[in-house]
Amino acid sequence: MSDDTLRMLRDSAADFATLDGARVRRLRGTDPGFERDRWREMGDMGWLGVLIPEAHGGLGLDLGAAVTIAEQLGRALYPEPYSASAVLATLALLHGDNAALKQTLLPRLASGEIVAGLAWQGERGGLDPDQCSVKLRESNGAQQLEGSSRFVSPAAADGYIVAARAAQGLELHWIARSAPGLACEPEARADGSASALLRFEAVGVSADTRVASPAAASAALRLALDHATLSTSAELFGLMDCTLEMTLDYLRTRVQFGKPIGSFQALQHRAVDMYMQKEMTRATLGAAVSSVLDPACTGEQRAVAASSAKARASQAALAICKEALQMHGAIGYTDEYDLGLYFNRALVLSASLGNASAHRSRYASLAALP
Amino acid sequence: MNYGVPQEQDWDTLSDAAFRAVVRAEVEAHHPAELRYPPRRLRWAENKSWYLRMAAKGWIAPGWPREYGGMGLSASKLLIFLEEMERWGIARFQDHGILMVGPILMRFGTEAQRRRYLPPILACEEIWCQGYSEPNAGSDLANLRTEAKLDGDAFIINGQKTWTTLAHDSTHMIVLARTDKEAKKQSGISFLMLDLKTPGVTVRPIRDLAGHDEFCEVFFDNVRTPATNLVGKLNQGWTVAKSQLGFERIHIGSPKLPEYGLQVLLSVARARGVEHDALFRDRLAQLQLDVAHLGDIYAHFAAIVGRGEALGPEVSLLKIWATETFQRIADLIIETAGEFGGLTGKVQMADGRIEVLAPFYKARPTSIYGGSNEIQRNILARQVLNLPG
Repeated sequence: MSDDTLRMLRDSAADFATLDGARVRRLRGTDPGFERDRWREMGDMGWLGVLIPEAHGGLGLDLGAAVTIAEQLGRALYPEPYSASAVLATLALLHGDNAALKQTLLPRLASGEIVAGLAWQGERGGLDPDQCSVKLRESNGAQQLEGSSRFVSPAAADGYIVAARAAQGLELHWIARSAPGLACEPEARADGSASALLRFEAVGVSADTRVASPAAASAALRLALDHATLSTSAELFGLMDCTLEMTLDYLRTRVQFGKPIGSFQALQHRAVDMYMQKEMTRATLGAAVSSVLDPACTGEQRAVAASSAKARASQAALAICKEALQMHGAIGYTDEYDLGLYFNRALVLSASLGNASAHRSRYASLAALP
Repeated sequence: MNYGVPQEQDWDTLSDAAFRAVVRAEVEAHHPAELRYPPRRLRWAENKSWYLRMAAKGWIAPGWPREYGGMGLSASKLLIFLEEMERWGIARFQDHGILMVGPILMRFGTEAQRRRYLPPILACEEIWCQGYSEPNAGSDLANLRTEAKLDGDAFIINGQKTWTTLAHDSTHMIVLARTDKEAKKQSGISFLMLDLKTPGVTVRPIRDLAGHDEFCEVFFDNVRTPATNLVGKLNQGWTVAKSQLGFERIHIGSPKLPEYGLQVLLSVARARGVEHDALFRDRLAQLQLDVAHLGDIYAHFAAIVGRGEALGPEVSLLKIWATETFQRIADLIIETAGEFGGLTGKVQMADGRIEVLAPFYKARPTSIYGGSNEIQRNILARQVLNLPG
């Protein structure tokens, strides 16, 4: 992909996606928590199909394009589930081995007609996709899903790709939201969006719903998760960059004791520490994306890169938001002021797909000790 | 004129990989094993055999252009050269002549100055130290009081420098001295060269808290240095000195020291049997990421240098991150070492000997020298974040 393509994507995303605090506030706590019209517009812009091949109605671009868009959406605090649907669920489907499902679903995902979620974590969360607690059972010759999955985003998807343990290993199945036996309990997240606790009771599946067989499922799931982890890190980067810029503006203009408070060295040095966290995230995310784009990158190297970036981005975003709040003082703690929107989104994205501590631990277990 | 030994070949005709192989073969074949990864700054008597060999080979000034006797390496090959030296644990020598004096004379010096001073720098016959800091001019360097008065064909220098690294191993010094007391701070300073054998110069080593004597104080009592030793214009010394600071910051920002710290940390953890402890593992992982990400941001700045572009004030963040990461590692080393953290020198731990305190002593001054981290944060706050003064 050329630098020009990337620049065009970045510019169009930046123009389209500016912070609309009123919209973000209005959508909090609603069902589905985002706007279908906006989602289809994102499809029209091509963003939802950047990772989908042209043959299936997408743009056929790569992770570089996805993180570019994600960063801009992070700046604008879009509640639309870009990383969850257009990266995570889309890639799991794309790297599965059901041609017919790809044929039907990928064009609808690319256009924004449907929204998909990926159900892979058990009720306790955690980063190991093999620990999923949904099981595939045979009952009187019929196959059924049993069990539960939590932290599924978005809660109100049109359908979910569900990771399930079968006798031969992991499988992925496409389950429509209306499927009999599926119960969806939304759980409110800090930013006003919802994730779901899905319960499966004798939910019927078949070869037709099988997105990925045991031969493909684990690899597809891991690839999708690593890419979505990087895309979420990019959202966090966009968010922390805006939070810092907002804080610097405040430091330059807020006057106390007859001076802008940004002239006080104690605050200047803390602002520099925020800036360093942000720049470290930028450098690390860039290096991680490059390493994943390298055709020689192995699955393990991809996981190391994703964990490295998410550990830094989650930690940096929270550190920057907490300092931003302190520097703003009481105004920053009000719901009226936009800082709170960034703060609450940082809490959600930092925790989602593994927080800093979980990724540090995965990094340590994968990366060779010096 | 030939300033130094002619080069064996035009290095730029080699691919990066081929050039790396040439450098690696040379250091692996000839660098003395006992000098790898020294726990402290080596004295000239200890590492001169290696550097005289490099000088004789024409490899002492990799970054200098060939017309001045250097290897004439492109920025990217220079980084490869430095990486290979670091990879093999080769310590710097008292190389201010190569890193500062040479480039400054090429840019600001006269032809006569270059002919006089560059050849002995290349031959390692004249070793330079940097006379900048004074007792009352540390972070506030422009407050310096050492004075130089023009008297006929010489400047007469009076005053004192301090924290001068390895002055006792040096033959010459670059001196920042006040030549106009009336002018505003930065504008009354000149950049002078001085032979340390000149009468009136006293060099006194200072013992540091690690027990080493790497730095010195240097006194000037009516010391005469020829007027021809003024570099650049009179009262323009601040500009001359500042021109080399960006490079110093990227050098201090290399991941080498923190990586060495991690190795010591792991040895200590294994010797204490805590390397699988969950709490230790999490703290280790945090530091490993801090070092890995230092590598990412170092590569970013190195690429700027590699493209031949100037480094902006942003490079201060590299210095801060590198030195504070190293300090966090050093802190965890002594914490992990328990009782062993109070023992100095090479300490017998389990079945190996580990210099437990060396990284700690090495790490502490890194946030002080090269412009303290507080000064680096001031620079970032004002020049990058545009916060008000």
